[in-house]
Amino acid sequence: MSARDRILAAVRAGLGSRPQAPSDIEAEAASLLAEPDEIRPRPVDTTLVEAFCTKAGAVGTTIDRVTDLDAVPAAVERYLAAQGLPPSVAVQPDPALTGLGWEGVATHAAIAPDEAAAVGLAGWGIAEGGSIVIHSAPDSPILLAFLPVHHIVVLHTDRILPHLEDYAATLSEGGAVPRNAVLITGPSGTTDIEGSYVRGAHGPGFVHVILVAGEVR
Amino acid sequence: MTVADQPSFKARADAALADRTLKTAIERTTGTAERKRAAALSTFPEFEAARSRGKAIKDHVIANLDHYLETFERNAVASGARVHWAATDEEARDIVVRLCIEAGAKRVTRSKSMLGEEIGLPQALADAGIERVETDLAEHIIQLAGEHPSHIIWPAMHRTREQVAELFKADHVPAPDAEDPASMVQSARRVLREKFLSADVGISGANFLIADTGATCTVTNEGNAELTTTPPRVHIVTAGIEKLVPSTAHAFALLRLLVRSATGGELTQYTTFHCGPKRSGDADGPEEMHIVLVDNGRSTMIADEFREMLRCIRCGACMNHCVVYRQIGGHAYGGTYPGPMGAALTPVLDGLARSRDLAFACTMNGRCAEVCPVKIPLPTLLRAWRVRSWNDGLEKGVASAAVGAWAAVARRPGLYRLVSGAGVGILRLIGTTGWIKSLPFVGGWTKYRDLPAPSGGTFMARYKAERGKEAAK
Repeated sequence: MSARDRILAAVRAGLGSRPQAPSDIEAEAASLLAEPDEIRPRPVDTTLVEAFCTKAGAVGTTIDRVTDLDAVPAAVERYLAAQGLPPSVAVQPDPALTGLGWEGVATHAAIAPDEAAAVGLAGWGIAEGGSIVIHSAPDSPILLAFLPVHHIVVLHTDRILPHLEDYAATLSEGGAVPRNAVLITGPSGTTDIEGSYVRGAHGPGFVHVILVAGEVR
Repeated sequence: MTVADQPSFKARADAALADRTLKTAIERTTGTAERKRAAALSTFPEFEAARSRGKAIKDHVIANLDHYLETFERNAVASGARVHWAATDEEARDIVVRLCIEAGAKRVTRSKSMLGEEIGLPQALADAGIERVETDLAEHIIQLAGEHPSHIIWPAMHRTREQVAELFKADHVPAPDAEDPASMVQSARRVLREKFLSADVGISGANFLIADTGATCTVTNEGNAELTTTPPRVHIVTAGIEKLVPSTAHAFALLRLLVRSATGGELTQYTTFHCGPKRSGDADGPEEMHIVLVDNGRSTMIADEFREMLRCIRCGACMNHCVVYRQIGGHAYGGTYPGPMGAALTPVLDGLARSRDLAFACTMNGRCAEVCPVKIPLPTLLRAWRVRSWNDGLEKGVASAAVGAWAAVARRPGLYRLVSGAGVGILRLIGTTGWIKSLPFVGGWTKYRDLPAPSGGTFMARYKAERGKEAAK
């Protein structure tokens, strides 16, 4: 008997006889997600965008707000200057970003192991914890969110969802789950030495969100 | 790691109690953890309801575990991952080592996984001559020290910052700039960066297995999981069969409990769902993804009271709040998992005969059950191990003889009153100051603290006296 058969047989022996049909199991599982407001924190502010900004700020993410995607390169330039960094960034190979007018900043596609700063697009924002969501794709390398010291993330305000469940719903509605879906909630950190918090472990020490008002182009 | 071939629990606990540095290290981390958890719950009034729901979700999964295992396997395979099944720790080790050898692996990076420790993966990789690079900061520390984790969330919590600085100075080239935690974290980042990018295989655990997508979920604060699983050609996941949840939304409901209970945060910095290998055209990701589903005794827990333990989401709150753990730390427990949850689980993994002491390393104060985010009745489970140990004839020596004698006397009320009255009288004679500093047969108690002397007579004597007063009125 294979290990698979032995394990399943042992599990079934432990459970005894059960008449549950798969559809009944699914219905019971769904019922466990009923009344979600009873088991999740209430939003902190009146508007979704304000709630996102408050929570993201609380976990150490900094935020800049622009009115239009065309204003992103200037915002990146401002951020780099404020951080004392040279005007050079790795840019996610997404046409929505590479197609912008990067006159004041030198851009490149490859992400170096010690990249100072990289700019990427977030798929979603989640107000509940101030998280941003990155999906892997041909034009979305996951390492762009992990190798640089400064991770600059462009997020459209209409991609901000209230709760974690709302993001989960986008996965089941869309049908296509990406290879990697990463929720990023603040800069990388650790408390492994005596429980004291240190910002900037293996991932970026700085997460900077550029919020773009309005719809995704 | 198993409790076999180690000194007795009593010897381990004695050694831990004598170590003042250890006490400082434990208090610094558990104290902070306790305060942060309390602060996180004070802003989450929904916690009680969320806890009940979390318990219900885990109970539902275990009650339908065969269904969820098969569903997960089907969806994981559809995503392009390969699913392997391991009934024992040995089978799990063999599968992982074989996959590494097939991948021609010289260097393997590992993202912290307690299941990996449970199945003895670090040793198995060493035996196979494969370089193992631990990437979680705490695991990096204990790898340098040649130790095992002493806590499931903070594996290196038994080491003070001064001790970590010594390790890093000896190993890191260049050495850390300074001995403060921030400088040491930067040093580890520097040293490990190149290893992440040159590994042949990345091994991770899973906090959740998502049945309806076939994805595995890791939660980390450092970002080491993604750097472990993305660059290498092969990603191997090892996960216990109890990690299943029906869907991503169910995982989120449990995640809210897990993070608040573990670190006092609302979410970890990174929550990542890994669903199969690199897709056609993807910018990065592993060419192969393997998921090893490990039973190792879990299926035997389903039919008895220890089924409740299968709800455990490994947050570590029970150990942070345990008066015994906070005195002796994690290593004294001897198994992979320390503290109350470890004391409940180790007998399943290593056998009761080797770990019977653990159920007694408990004051039954109930703090662990109070803080458990999925309501595991840990004191009840520890009591159940005591009963089994007694029934299996494992309780021998002074304690066993004393309980036997007590039972014989307790069945004879007259004799019991006589003996207990005499006992109280003797204790009061010895403990004239109100405290007894040493006493035969209970040296294990009086070595570390004084025994309070009885303040009055026995309950029965007092009861009779009060009744007498009532009657005289």
